[in-house]
Amino acid sequence: MNPRSDHHTRRHGRGAAGLALLAALALACTVAPLLSDGAAPLRADSDPVLTALTDGRGSLSFALLSGLLGAGLGLGWAVLATALGERTERRLMAAAARLAGLPLALLAPLGAGLMGGGLPLLALLVAVSAAPLVAGLAHGELRDLLRREFLIAARAAGLSQGAILRHHLIPNAVRPLLAAGAVALPRALAVESFASLLGLGLPSPVGSWGATIGLAARLGDGLALIPAALLLSLSLWALHAVADEALSLAAEGPHGGAATDARA
Amino acid sequence: MTTIAPALADPPTTNPPVAADGLTLLAGDRVLIDRADLRLEAGAVLALTGGAGAGKTLLLRALAGLPLPGVAQAGQAHVDGRRLLIAQGGRMAPQRPLALQAADVIGHHLGLDTSAALRRMADALDRMGVPAAARRFDLPPDRLPDSLRWAALFALAIAVGPAVLLTDAPAAGLDPTVRLRLLHRLADWARESAVALIVAGRPEDGLDGPADQRLALHGGRLLPTPADPTPLPAPNPARGRAGTEVMTARSVTVSFPLGVSPTGEERRLTVVHPLDLDLADGETLVLLGETGSGKAMLARALLHLPPPTKGHVAWMGRDLAKADAAGMRRIRRDLQPLFPDPAAALDPAMTVGGQLATVLESLRPEIPADRRAHRVADALRAVGLSADTATRWPATLNPPEAARVGLARALIPEPRALVCDEPLATLSAEERADFWDDLLTARDRRRLPVILTTERVEEGLRHADRALVLLMGRVVESGDADALLHHARHPYTQAMLSAARGEAPALDGDAPSALRPPDGCALRLRCPKARSFCAQAVPALEQVAPGHQVACHYWDTP
Ligand code: SF4
Repeated sequence: MNPRSDHHTRRHGRGAAGLALLAALALACTVAPLLSDGAAPLRADSDPVLTALTDGRGSLSFALLSGLLGAGLGLGWAVLATALGERTERRLMAAAARLAGLPLALLAPLGAGLMGGGLPLLALLVAVSAAPLVAGLAHGELRDLLRREFLIAARAAGLSQGAILRHHLIPNAVRPLLAAGAVALPRALAVESFASLLGLGLPSPVGSWGATIGLAARLGDGLALIPAALLLSLSLWALHAVADEALSLAAEGPHGGAATDARA
Repeated sequence: MTTIAPALADPPTTNPPVAADGLTLLAGDRVLIDRADLRLEAGAVLALTGGAGAGKTLLLRALAGLPLPGVAQAGQAHVDGRRLLIAQGGRMAPQRPLALQAADVIGHHLGLDTSAALRRMADALDRMGVPAAARRFDLPPDRLPDSLRWAALFALAIAVGPAVLLTDAPAAGLDPTVRLRLLHRLADWARESAVALIVAGRPEDGLDGPADQRLALHGGRLLPTPADPTPLPAPNPARGRAGTEVMTARSVTVSFPLGVSPTGEERRLTVVHPLDLDLADGETLVLLGETGSGKAMLARALLHLPPPTKGHVAWMGRDLAKADAAGMRRIRRDLQPLFPDPAAALDPAMTVGGQLATVLESLRPEIPADRRAHRVADALRAVGLSADTATRWPATLNPPEAARVGLARALIPEPRALVCDEPLATLSAEERADFWDDLLTARDRRRLPVILTTERVEEGLRHADRALVLLMGRVVESGDADALLHHARHPYTQAMLSAARGEAPALDGDAPSALRPPDGCALRLRCPKARSFCAQAVPALEQVAPGHQVACHYWDTP
């Protein structure tokens, strides 16, 4: 009957499916290399599915590393902006909004191309390209939180700023901030794949889906291209689904409570 | 329960425009509406009331011939002539300019071209009392103020000229003076044009006033509305005038920065103009006003949540602005608030008990930690909740429970005064009566002085000793509750009282925008008594009887 609750369950379903899919992919990518004969499989003659799964190790772990870094940067950005007072806040967040509007995905291949690559540099560039988006989302969540009525009630109860921070702000901020941070993961995977596709991504001993797709496309090798492309799009979908779900759960608030004061 | 077919009129000779005979609506095997009988003549206005989920919408949709999917219908529902349903929320296409929508709808029903349709719409807007200057045909409904959107929607219905008009929660959410004016105009039109009009809404929406016939939906049955279900008490003179003054506020002003104007000066939005207020021991003072009156901001300023922009508030002679941290905590212990949305005022990440214990820890540090749980249980029981409510999360509370938890939290530090901002705003009619009982019991048992804000004038006055009526941040009338209830002098107070009694308020138009207040008296664009001098000076409060003050240039002219 209620279209909202219907929509809701569908989204919950997507989030759970995304999480299950990610777990399966991670497991498969970890186990697959053990199935090959121990040596790094030679691309030309090995099973393309096995190769794609092996590449997944590189892609997924790099996405996790640089995504976490990007989430950390973005969250720090938002928290700092909120803490530093109105004027600085407005400037910092305007900068984030402007940056988020730029094609930051180009930053990784450009920087890697110009400065010669290297894993730490690439991770940093990918993180930087995800951070403004995270910062914008996290800042919105923090602003909403600071407007909530229960903080006024806490002041009426005579709590000091510190106590309000400890008892009320931090417990309520954790979920929305984590959710905002989760958005960095699919973004990191996409940017890394894009850079690797151009041949400017992960350094060669580390396999990656982007690199495999790029190579296969150049060689016209459809058999090698399909599994990698499929796994990449599945992972992207799953990461997006999980991040969406996290955001909607955060909007719902802890213990099923509404995170916003708006009431039906 | 006996089957009562509400006797509405003598048996008609012809078919009435609306007739339902044993109309039953079922979802699966659940009976939603049970054998409803209903006859409505042309030119009659029926108020159909019922609490949330009573089935008003279902019944209206069945009458409109738009039953919801999954709902089966038995019995007869017969509607003659063109019928129109204004659904809940009064939705129109939000982005399309009003003129185009009006032309579409009127053109569709009457086959008129655009200019003829717009002429009809303009006539209808006249009937709804929308002045020509306020007509914004070029704007989409989204950008119109709510009151104008509703007026336009009613005008649209009038322009189409149905034989039967069904309205679901009409003008909901508008200020009472504006809502009742629109509803009375709609009802007058229906009577004059021989249209059968049904207005459906909750019992507390004041729909009974404009109607000739009243039916209530209760437990699926359609029955005559019971005589006033919760008679309001008369103001209690025995409660006695109070003792010494406990709170004084002087020149309290609340304003917000609006940025810097092109000429370089700082612009501010003033929501409370300099205002004095005293609260005596044991007294209940009610702040009355509608949206934008500044009553809520004033209540917050009195608690320093946040402090007023200018002026000062003193509790027991101590200036809140000068209190140090420890002093402020003592004052907070004495002065506790109730919030308009009790559920939103609870931290969703903490159990009820946890929040009450935090209040004790902060405001009553002398109570040992191991006694706190006991105190929390006592406080919950004192407001009629079970002690195990302490373990629940706020999201699991229903509105009355949340309101009670809010009351328990306010009372647990044993305050010496309460400042309540629309504490019953989230409750339905029946829940309100219960909560009033609890609030008044707590007040009387502890002889607490109370400041209460509300837009429900009659209810507020009957529970209070003294009242201030606020209009756009200024006091326009103040006096004993009894004097205001029976001898209100200010046109605004009178209008709010008429609206509360279901009568048509003698005010036209809408409240002006706070960003562009009119010169002089803030009421002058709506006031039936306004003269040119009203534009020249803001009227000051003057004494009209002992303890009764009015701010109106012409309070003594009839
Ligand atoms: S001052 Fe004038 S406009 Fe204001 S309420 Fe009195 S008569 Fe009406």
